[in-house]
Amino acid sequence: MLDLTAVKGQVDAMVAAQVDAPAQFEQRLNHAVDLLLEWGQAGRWQELQQMTQSARVSWLLAEFYGPFAEVIDAPTRESKLSVAATDGSQIFPDRHEISPCFLLNIGYVLLHYGSGERALLSSRPQLFWREHELYQEWGGRRTGISRDVVGFRRALLELTELAELAAASQRAGHSTLAINDGTLIMWSLEGRPPEFRDDCLRQIRSALDLLADRRIPLAGYISRPGGSDLVNALRIAMCPMSMTNCDRCPGLQAGPEAPEPSSESPPIIERPCDSLQGISDAVLLRRVLQPGQRSAVFGSGSRILDDYGPHGVHFFYLHVGKEVARVEIPTYVAADSQLLDRVHAGVLDQAQKGDGYPVSLAEAHERAVVRGADREAFYRYLEEMFVRHDVRARVSLKGLRKRAAAI
Amino acid sequence: MTHALGSRSLDSFRDPVPQVADPQRQSNDKQISGDSAQISHTGEVIESSTAQLVAESVRLHGAPAFGQFVRIETEPMPILGVVHNAQTQSLEANRRPSAYGKSEEELRLEQPQIFELLRTHFDVFVLGYLDGAYPVLAYPPQPARIHSFVYLCDAPQVEAVTANDQLLRSLLDAPGLPTDELLLATLCYALEARDPAHQQAYVLRTGKELSRLLRDDYDRLSAIVRRLKERQSTQVEQTQVAR
Repeated sequence: MLDLTAVKGQVDAMVAAQVDAPAQFEQRLNHAVDLLLEWGQAGRWQELQQMTQSARVSWLLAEFYGPFAEVIDAPTRESKLSVAATDGSQIFPDRHEISPCFLLNIGYVLLHYGSGERALLSSRPQLFWREHELYQEWGGRRTGISRDVVGFRRALLELTELAELAAASQRAGHSTLAINDGTLIMWSLEGRPPEFRDDCLRQIRSALDLLADRRIPLAGYISRPGGSDLVNALRIAMCPMSMTNCDRCPGLQAGPEAPEPSSESPPIIERPCDSLQGISDAVLLRRVLQPGQRSAVFGSGSRILDDYGPHGVHFFYLHVGKEVARVEIPTYVAADSQLLDRVHAGVLDQAQKGDGYPVSLAEAHERAVVRGADREAFYRYLEEMFVRHDVRARVSLKGLRKRAAAI
Repeated sequence: MTHALGSRSLDSFRDPVPQVADPQRQSNDKQISGDSAQISHTGEVIESSTAQLVAESVRLHGAPAFGQFVRIETEPMPILGVVHNAQTQSLEANRRPSAYGKSEEELRLEQPQIFELLRTHFDVFVLGYLDGAYPVLAYPPQPARIHSFVYLCDAPQVEAVTANDQLLRSLLDAPGLPTDELLLATLCYALEARDPAHQQAYVLRTGKELSRLLRDDYDRLSAIVRRLKERQSTQVEQTQVAR
């Protein structure tokens, strides 16, 4: 139970602090746009590329392949195109329930455009209950499977099943575009136990191999993206050091009072490049892109990609009308202008059909989703079957208490 | 995974029992969803009680016509009924269809998912059951089982169900049904099932029975008889034009 009266004072303070933020933000954003247009033009971008390559910073930097301020109009979508999408949902393992098993539900969507053929909408649940599925042993330590590992398994299954679905569609003679829900960069695998990490990466690589082999374009669609790889690279352009090294940042070494106080910069700014802080790539490019247009293709500098084998991940931003979305593509798509155009036109068309969000992903979500009531029904069925077959099982006292909270 | 990578067929991703999205597209569907062309039933029972049942149509917009006689294959014996309502709606309670401003053909080409999210249901009023081949116009001992298949009655079955005045009584006594509309519609199917030589006699006999059953309600009776005449004359004209 949330006591709203108790939180009211804190909300008021937060709102008061943000009242004059928009004006400042506007100024900083204009500055970012100027930087983009200045450095991103032909003949100038190579300079920034060199600066970013030698920079020693802790943030992710976009890699450039050309004049990155360019905008590209939407090509026309092929009249016949099939769009494959998957999404997943889960029932997490719950040790307060009757069994610590967990469930992954994958929703499949294959929409054929321009041919009048029937759409495929389906879902497949998979139950994981065997000992080796519920417990993991890494570095000699055996632990129960955690929620984030279930999340990884789900994300992997979404990608591998998407590859399979798209391959099946292509094999049946449909020119297919595969759309993945969210990023293709499994950056959160960094720092995981090596065996687990390797196993995940092996699966990602084989899914990408399959799609590249069949020349099926893949796009990871990120709505409301928070990434700022491009803005981070522009921070290098602002850096007063000839070779950026954040450990020796003049702003930080001189202390907060040292930089010349100007009327534009708010007093909290410490580093020279801090005025770009809080601006995401999408917010920046919303100023530059017209609906339907995409940005240049950038490379991701995420370290996990070193282990993607031959497949790098690139991205561009796409103005889909209601927002600027980030679209991630593997190297084989970025390098093939025909596939790149298919992604640009196809993803844009999907978002327009879905009123701002790709209709295939929205439908895949509808197929996959496991709601609270479904979860309850699942556990009650499980309980009934356990009882019917005299399997010994117990619900924890906490679980019991949640079901019937007595007064 | 037991399959070699990239070797699965599209069918392996499909749900086992799909509703056929469009009756006109059967031949098209055959390539993608296997046995849909072999489906001989018209619906499947999803709600059932002694006097009424609801069935999901196998095909979108493919419910039996209003007033058509149907047979439900169930235990302990097949049930006979008449279709008195059909509706098409969203499959999911929380998602309502909304207007797109496009023709159905355009929607099929550019918004194909819509047709997978709609279902056609139809309501059946239970008339009786089959005892062997013999129709008994009385409530069946048990309601139809959920998921029983619904078939259209063949001509001999329709002829047998409509052989005496019990059908008229059942329909006139049924609560909450559009009785007069249903009387007229069922009569058309009763005639269709009969040899043209016997049709006139059947109409006469039905008229007499109706006048007996509705003797307390002259206005209603005359309205039914007038509409019956109108319908018959249009039918005769149509037959003549066809010839």
